[in-house]
Amino acid sequence: MKDYAGIALTTPVSFGYAKQSPHGAAWFIGSTLRQLLAKSGLGPDDIDGLAVSSFSLGADSAITLTQHFQLSPRWIEQLPYGGASGILALRRAARAIQAGDAGIIACIGGDGATHRAFESIAANFSNFTIDSSFPYGAGGPNAAFAMITQRYMDEFGARLEDFGAISVAQRYNANHYPAALLSHKTLSLEQYMAARPIASPLHLLDCVMPCAGGEGFLMMSEERARSLGLDWCRILAADELHNAHRDDDIQLRGGWTEYADGLWNRAGLGPTEIDMLQTYDDYPVISMLQMEDLGFCAKGEAPGWVAGTDLRFDGSGPQARKLPHNTSGGQLSVGQAGAAAGYLGVVESLRQLTGSAGGNQVERARHAMVSGFGMINYDRGLCSAAAILARSER
Amino acid sequence: MSTTPTMRSRLKLNRPSLRKLARPPKQRTALGAAFTAANLPVALALQHCRDCGSVQYPPRELCRQCLGDSLVWRSTPGSGRMLSRVELHHSLWEYFKRRLQEKPWPVASVRLDCGVIVFAHLALETFAGAANPSLAADTPVQVFTHTDCSLNAVLIAVAAGTPIESRGERRAIAAGLGLLEPAIKPEGI
Repeated sequence: MKDYAGIALTTPVSFGYAKQSPHGAAWFIGSTLRQLLAKSGLGPDDIDGLAVSSFSLGADSAITLTQHFQLSPRWIEQLPYGGASGILALRRAARAIQAGDAGIIACIGGDGATHRAFESIAANFSNFTIDSSFPYGAGGPNAAFAMITQRYMDEFGARLEDFGAISVAQRYNANHYPAALLSHKTLSLEQYMAARPIASPLHLLDCVMPCAGGEGFLMMSEERARSLGLDWCRILAADELHNAHRDDDIQLRGGWTEYADGLWNRAGLGPTEIDMLQTYDDYPVISMLQMEDLGFCAKGEAPGWVAGTDLRFDGSGPQARKLPHNTSGGQLSVGQAGAAAGYLGVVESLRQLTGSAGGNQVERARHAMVSGFGMINYDRGLCSAAAILARSER
Repeated sequence: MSTTPTMRSRLKLNRPSLRKLARPPKQRTALGAAFTAANLPVALALQHCRDCGSVQYPPRELCRQCLGDSLVWRSTPGSGRMLSRVELHHSLWEYFKRRLQEKPWPVASVRLDCGVIVFAHLALETFAGAANPSLAADTPVQVFTHTDCSLNAVLIAVAAGTPIESRGERRAIAAGLGLLEPAIKPEGI
């Protein structure tokens, strides 16, 4: 695979998280774009590429948004890949820039959360969902993930406390990231264990909170970023695989197993050289699958590995092994803003690696791994993606 | 800033359903409707590929193995083994919300012997030790369909060996789950 040399990932923006909002997806996507322009000092006509992900555009699409925002891109992409959208946008935009198809690409995930919008997204997610999972009562992917969690617990002896360790550490991180919707609430393991059941074994604090918001970043060549005076980070390696392990009874592994080795080889790094890990955490069990499949620990050993690892952004936990994980609180504490959640890990890594994170800044962070997971079509998530990013000196 | 108007509008917007009768989700795709039609005369009908013989679920346009365009609905044995299960305590759908006020709603995922994975309403009372049945992965189960009160066929999983040969036996299990009657709110309109 060709490398991503010369590509800069810059200008992280997280916008407007709200539990409910009367505004539509275009408002969140457009507002994120406005902030991208303001932060980078660019004008609308400097943006010649646009990648958009959203679940709530309704009859709109990436192309109709160009007229909303009066953009004239010569490269456009719409990525309906849920939690893998951000990394997939990053990979496609990087190739477009390398090929000269576009110079500056805005990659934006954004979704609204109008009254009962999530209900309609869950009820109409896909044809398989409509015929074969929604009629059985679950709201969104709760049932599929409860089944995965239950099987993971049966198979590997994981306990709820093990999942709780992830949620509790992430909440600590969110307490230092004011934009997180649950930033103002602390969380102890006791509180986690006492939460009301939603889809046993999952309870309230295992399930992300659907919300509105936008996440975005700009991609361009390193020369361009340097001339614009922007801080950026580089892509050391990135990969994706979809509908992997399709004959498995139940999803206890994702596509990451098939390309993790190549990813580490191309990046020239190993798991111990990663300074922060951003997994896709719509439910804690899926973060564990990512830790295992990406090589941080062996299959089934994530509960023990998590217990022995300090996942806090500042390394203030008692464990000797430190790996800041979901440093802004992840979706479990920030909220899941539809497809923007697929960009959250990329944007947060970018903030961290460019030293612009603020209260939850990880000290001396050089390498970040971001992982994406998306689209519960029926009984499992179909998309897997991962990227290794590195800080770049200007 | 007073929070009162916000709270009032939020309560208004999130008000509970006032409908007297709530039924399971009615919406299906055309293939889902075909699933219902095919299952009216038999305990379980699934799509089979006439070219390669593989069985399909969820309902599909083309064969998942050979992409052949020769799927036919055929009566299919419902034997299988449980992969996992969940007890729902929360739902977005009013019918389930009301049922959940009485007790959690169990759902199983099952690998049928014919190869497909199905989600099915789980009839817990058919399992030994019904109060607290041991439902580990690999528990043998049988799956059949019944028409719910939204007039769609839905899958129901019972313990292997449960008598389900007659229509009356299957109907009694579906009725026991509450699928044949809407969830009623007496003061509703």
